[in-house]
Amino acid sequence: MNALEINNLCRSFPDFRLDNISFTLPSGCIMGLIGENGAGKSTTIKLILDMIRKDSGTVTIFGKDNTNINLLKEDIGVVMDEVGIPECLTAKQVAKIMKYTFRNWDNTEYTRLLHRLSIPDNKPFKDFSRGMKMKLGIAIAKSHGAKLLILDEPTSGLDPVVRDEVVEMFYDFTRDEDHSILISSHIVSDLEKLCDYIAFLHQGKLLLCEEKDELLSEYGIIHCTVDQLSDIKKIKYKKETPYGAEIIVSRNDAPEGFKLSPISIEELFVFMVKEAR
Amino acid sequence: MKGLLLKDLYMMKKYCRAYLIIAVVFIAVSFASSENLFFIFYPCLLCGMIPVNLLGYDERSKWVQYSQTMPYTKAQIVSGKYLIGLGTQIVVLLFTGISQAIRMSVNGTFVLSEYLVLLMLLLIMALLASSITLPFMFKLGVEKGRMAYYIMIGIVCAGSIIASNLFSESFRTEISPNGILPVICIMGIGLYALSWYLSIVFYKKREL
Repeated sequence: MNALEINNLCRSFPDFRLDNISFTLPSGCIMGLIGENGAGKSTTIKLILDMIRKDSGTVTIFGKDNTNINLLKEDIGVVMDEVGIPECLTAKQVAKIMKYTFRNWDNTEYTRLLHRLSIPDNKPFKDFSRGMKMKLGIAIAKSHGAKLLILDEPTSGLDPVVRDEVVEMFYDFTRDEDHSILISSHIVSDLEKLCDYIAFLHQGKLLLCEEKDELLSEYGIIHCTVDQLSDIKKIKYKKETPYGAEIIVSRNDAPEGFKLSPISIEELFVFMVKEAR
Repeated sequence: MKGLLLKDLYMMKKYCRAYLIIAVVFIAVSFASSENLFFIFYPCLLCGMIPVNLLGYDERSKWVQYSQTMPYTKAQIVSGKYLIGLGTQIVVLLFTGISQAIRMSVNGTFVLSEYLVLLMLLLIMALLASSITLPFMFKLGVEKGRMAYYIMIGIVCAGSIIASNLFSESFRTEISPNGILPVICIMGIGLYALSWYLSIVFYKKREL
């Protein structure tokens, strides 16, 4: 069963339109939603969670339409870019609140995670660093038996060490083959390490959604001079600079006599977005 | 729902201590001074604003959005605030009522009908503040809601001045406080219920 299916999702605002978004996240997989600021990542997540109304399209979570999302929220752990815990609360008080909020709240798991992540249980949330706030948010999401984590920019503003710890927590979550993650970020390198599927969003449109490994094996990058460009056919994307040119080609169409280097997701994303502008 | 109430209780404990101290001081002063009704009514008005302030803290911390990711309906989130409001108002009403009953008994001025009139006035005061404020907050958010609330209060005050000028003095003296107060009291409870319902309707339509 798919954890998440989105079909032709649209939503218009006076100054922005999320246009016909469709993608599928199979159970047990991690999908990265990559886009610049304002590309529509948070809007997509809010539509999935039915926090804002869609104009058209469907969202299905574990095979059920999201219009009755309250029945599904026990199975979904959410971490937004701002965690949303009131500043005066301590991690210990949060546990008591969540015990009455989620039917499957696992206090033993929560305490274990607090201990593992060195989160103090008696310190008010306002005194937490951004990294600690995010870790607490993730600990909550992982302590009520969620099968799907939806994470909106969970790594933005974190230092590299904490980012690595957070990414490790996501790996840990997906050890169970029923667990899936939809994670949005504009820090492509994090998602490149983590994700099975990659979706590129740009100005409210989905530029692509593919399996990461296929994407990496499908394309390659060639560094050449501007004069050599005329010798190369079937260029997917190109960038010219005063020092030369970089072109992305499909590996099947790679020209002979040029060195084809592996491409990173970040490079591909930047090329695609610049082409789309 | 229990989780929402518990969260609000923790927040009240932290953010509303000043309210409690002011209410206790005012109840104590009203116990000593029977002349000034302001000291009797103010704790009720003050505590009526507690749910509004809690909502303000919720918005600031982004709990408003976060709670939407939990298995709570919007009706439950609204009801949590109204129940907290009702709970605090009942407690304040109880303390004010008991202190006034003791004061009247000690002074030898206890008359049951007058005491009941006082209790009804207190109840109306307690319910009025949050009844009027909360629907604006749930529809527009705390910042815009506050503005709309002040405009609304301005219109109501202007309306009352115009109405009092329109009605003749003889008509006003014919109205017995003992007769009309229970009606106003029932209207106050009705207004609270209507406000609760409207807040749910507004909040369901609001995108967070």
